[in-house]
Amino acid sequence: MTRSSHTLILFAVLLASGAAAFGLERFPPPQFETDYVRPTTTVPNPPQGFWEYIDAGVLIVTLFLATYLILRKRSRKWIFALMLFSLVYFGFFRKGCVCSVGAVQNVTLTAFDSTYAVPIAVLMFFALPLVFTLFFGRVFCGAVCPLGAIQDAVLIHPVRVPRWLESGLRLIAYLYLGAGVLFAAMGAMFIICRYDPFVGFFRFGGNWNILVFGGCLLLIGVFVGRPYCRFLCPYGVILRQLSRLSKWHVTITPTDCIQCRLCEDACPFGAIRKPTEPWPAKEYRVAKARLAFFLVLLPVLIGAGGWAGYELRGWLAQIHPQVRLAQRIYLEENAQVEGTTDASDAFRATGRPSPELYSEATLLRDRFGIGGVLFGAFVGLVIGGKLLSLSVKRRRTDYEADRASCLACGRCYEYCPKEHERWKNRKERLGRS
Amino acid sequence: MTGAPPQIPANEPALGYRTARTTAKVAGVFSLVFLALLVANFIGTSVIGPRRENHLAAMKAALREGEATDEKLSEIRQLDLRIRRNRIWRLDFAHKTGHALLASIVVFFVAGKLARVLNKRLPRPEHAPDVGVEQIREARGARWTVTAGLVILGGIVALLVINEAPLAFVVASGTEPSPVAAVEPNETGPSYASMEEKRVQWHRFRGPGGGGVSLFTNIPTEWDGKTGKGIAWKSPVPLAGNNSPVVWNDRIFLSGATETKQEVYCYDAVSGRLLWTGDVPISPAVAAAELNPMEDTGRSASTMATDGRRVYTIFVTGDIAAFDFGGRRLWYKSLGVPDSAYGYASSLDTYEDRVIVQYDQGDGSEDKSRLYALDGASGRIVWEAKREVPNSWTSPIVVEVEGKPQLITLTDPWLLANNPADGAEIWRAECAGGDVAPSPIYAGGLVLAIEPYSHLIAIKPTGQGNVTETHVAWTMDEGGPDICSPVGNDQYVYLLEGQGLLICCSVADGKKVFDHDLRTDFVASPSIVGDKIYLLDAEGVMHIGQVGPEYKELAKCELGEKCHASPAFVDGRIYIRSLENLWCIGGPTAAGVAD
Repeated sequence: MTRSSHTLILFAVLLASGAAAFGLERFPPPQFETDYVRPTTTVPNPPQGFWEYIDAGVLIVTLFLATYLILRKRSRKWIFALMLFSLVYFGFFRKGCVCSVGAVQNVTLTAFDSTYAVPIAVLMFFALPLVFTLFFGRVFCGAVCPLGAIQDAVLIHPVRVPRWLESGLRLIAYLYLGAGVLFAAMGAMFIICRYDPFVGFFRFGGNWNILVFGGCLLLIGVFVGRPYCRFLCPYGVILRQLSRLSKWHVTITPTDCIQCRLCEDACPFGAIRKPTEPWPAKEYRVAKARLAFFLVLLPVLIGAGGWAGYELRGWLAQIHPQVRLAQRIYLEENAQVEGTTDASDAFRATGRPSPELYSEATLLRDRFGIGGVLFGAFVGLVIGGKLLSLSVKRRRTDYEADRASCLACGRCYEYCPKEHERWKNRKERLGRS
Repeated sequence: MTGAPPQIPANEPALGYRTARTTAKVAGVFSLVFLALLVANFIGTSVIGPRRENHLAAMKAALREGEATDEKLSEIRQLDLRIRRNRIWRLDFAHKTGHALLASIVVFFVAGKLARVLNKRLPRPEHAPDVGVEQIREARGARWTVTAGLVILGGIVALLVINEAPLAFVVASGTEPSPVAAVEPNETGPSYASMEEKRVQWHRFRGPGGGGVSLFTNIPTEWDGKTGKGIAWKSPVPLAGNNSPVVWNDRIFLSGATETKQEVYCYDAVSGRLLWTGDVPISPAVAAAELNPMEDTGRSASTMATDGRRVYTIFVTGDIAAFDFGGRRLWYKSLGVPDSAYGYASSLDTYEDRVIVQYDQGDGSEDKSRLYALDGASGRIVWEAKREVPNSWTSPIVVEVEGKPQLITLTDPWLLANNPADGAEIWRAECAGGDVAPSPIYAGGLVLAIEPYSHLIAIKPTGQGNVTETHVAWTMDEGGPDICSPVGNDQYVYLLEGQGLLICCSVADGKKVFDHDLRTDFVASPSIVGDKIYLLDAEGVMHIGQVGPEYKELAKCELGEKCHASPAFVDGRIYIRSLENLWCIGGPTAAGVAD
């Protein structure tokens, strides 16, 4: 067949799929004039409990498989296949819930609220990827996380993000983690789940604004590799730190690095670090002074962050529905707003006096003061720590995958001549046997 | 994968790559087409659809007002059918187009990635730059980025700290002590006072039952406001109002208002000290309504009421609020700006733990008038009864008839009795008309009501339904006051006209016993205290007479200030609100007070 006929066939197939878009005209529902009673709306049964354990089981299996494929088999093709399976199973089939990213909040809430019991499956979703990361690096991100998988699936033409920009953007994830933990601890909201940008795609429906946000992230993800994972994911913040301690992790070369530079642009996520060069002597003097300055600045930033967090307790407290209700009731009682809301009507129907609500809300605000101090101090620590880490000279002799940033996707393997050597040797061994 | 790199001709992309690339392009174009179709469909749903529906609604409205012909009905039905068909078609179209869009997007991404994979080029590292300089530059850039982020974050934090979070309730939670005085909290025990407890208080307009009758016999008959003789104390009232004092044990309550403020005052009954001032917000709707009550009515004409645990107030704006005896506002509500010709003036009453509000407004044709019972603790409407009556200025009374409570209201043209527990109507009698202001009373087993300038009528309150023809005991047709409510006991009922004519009738048959011209103006309603009648004129002079078949003046006591509000009588004391002050007459400390 000629090339043009191939094109024509493709056109025809796509056109046929487009024709379905116009649909068939339907008759409107009949106007019932008899005693026909429309059936009442039913609610589907809640998901069966055993599915959580199946999910946990699948998670364990995929984590082991991912570890093997990433660290042992070193095959991008199989890593991609496993990633697609994770996307389909954890994403579209299980509708993105339970997910490890959101499980941070469940674990936090159970630590602060004795009346809340975190399900074992959720605990496993939280803990297992951390355990694997501690030993094997970010294998969870590489082939198991559905949020990472959907972003990886749309990455077509990666563009390099400048290192200076990446360092700044990465701090957003720390803020997000701190806020998520704070609001979960206060029982206010699970913001990580609420603002999950991809769960709407997994469920084929959702809040319009979140769908648009997720769509924009995916559009950006066509060019910028895994933007959510690199700059927003709060769970990734924890994985980054644990991955630094991992005994086994991704290496670009299976043996020794020969400094061929062929892998320099292999990573779409900017995780490959070049060997370092000695600095000029003057730079060392400046760097020492700078390091000392940032060391002194660190406790100042922590203190300032804590103070700011305390002062922002009112704003932070407004996330809590109880506080918002108290504010609304107050405004209605003082004629500063017209009308009522469902929430304020429901409150009045309880017959509780509003001063009681005000007292509860004031107590919540005070608790947000304590939480705000911790959150602010954490932010100060992160920023100060980042400035410090950017002032420390690293020593590298080889091209390495940064332990914290590497998402274990396996794309860099085929760029390494040593890897090709390994494949060749393996093929020869298999051929001989 | 083999060790040797793929042999790709220099300028000839592979067939697989070209197919994938073309597929991706075509899928991309289709995605845009489907997206455009969805947007067009959305515009059709949200713009064109409502236009048709509005047209249909207009056709239906025209049909209701005009003649319903077959042609018009057929047109409406056809349009309705077209609208429904269109709506369902659009839903179906959106559903299918959405799926097609999804499919084409998936094809786009699959083909795009395939094209990428099939077009892999060998890496060609550029000439190695000075790595050390590059790394120093990168680190410097990263530090500045982080610093810039810190500055931006700091700026946002500063803005938020300067503009405090709007948590106004934190102030309202009572963490700060009242600047006026420390007041003991509410009484504990049942959530409302009993009828027996109320009988020895002055808990609403004109006292227990709203009849202006006090059970106490130790009320003073001699005082002089100018010299201070017999005066225990007088205290200024910050804002003006025509409402009368309400007394519960050692607390006296008043309200006052201007265009911009509405306040409640609590005084200590023994010392006259202002214990606390409560603010009542003004509903935003008031400004838009351009409320302009008559000057004689004022903005705070309605007398407050208490159930012994909480005190309630309402203003000409329709704003109603409740306070506990410690001065803490418990709730606030706007009943809507009342449509009242002279300004809303009906006083409140209480029944058990509820506050009763007679909210007559409009001209009777607009279904605006209501009788409300609000829960005293929360302000929630427990029940409301619609009334097809115009505005009135009378106040409700709750009395006990044959052991059962009745809530009695007078309006144009009805005298109505409702069950205060659930608002159900018990009986009604058509007996009044015009601008009704004097409130009804219950005396001698009869409900007595006035039609201004016309008559006094007595109704037996033992009937059911419309008792106009069956339960009228008698009617006295020799006129009636336009403002002052009557007062009566088992024997006599007194009417006091605004120009000073006092008429006494027999409760048994309505026959006039006597009339006496006091030759002065009256706004406050008369009161009976024991065997004496107290008449407070507009100049602040109390005319005290003997209750009996003829008028016998016992005393005249001057206050020295103009008075419009009716006095309150409790256990050896009289409380009078003049235009500027609250006066206490009698009591153990009534040795006189310096002006």
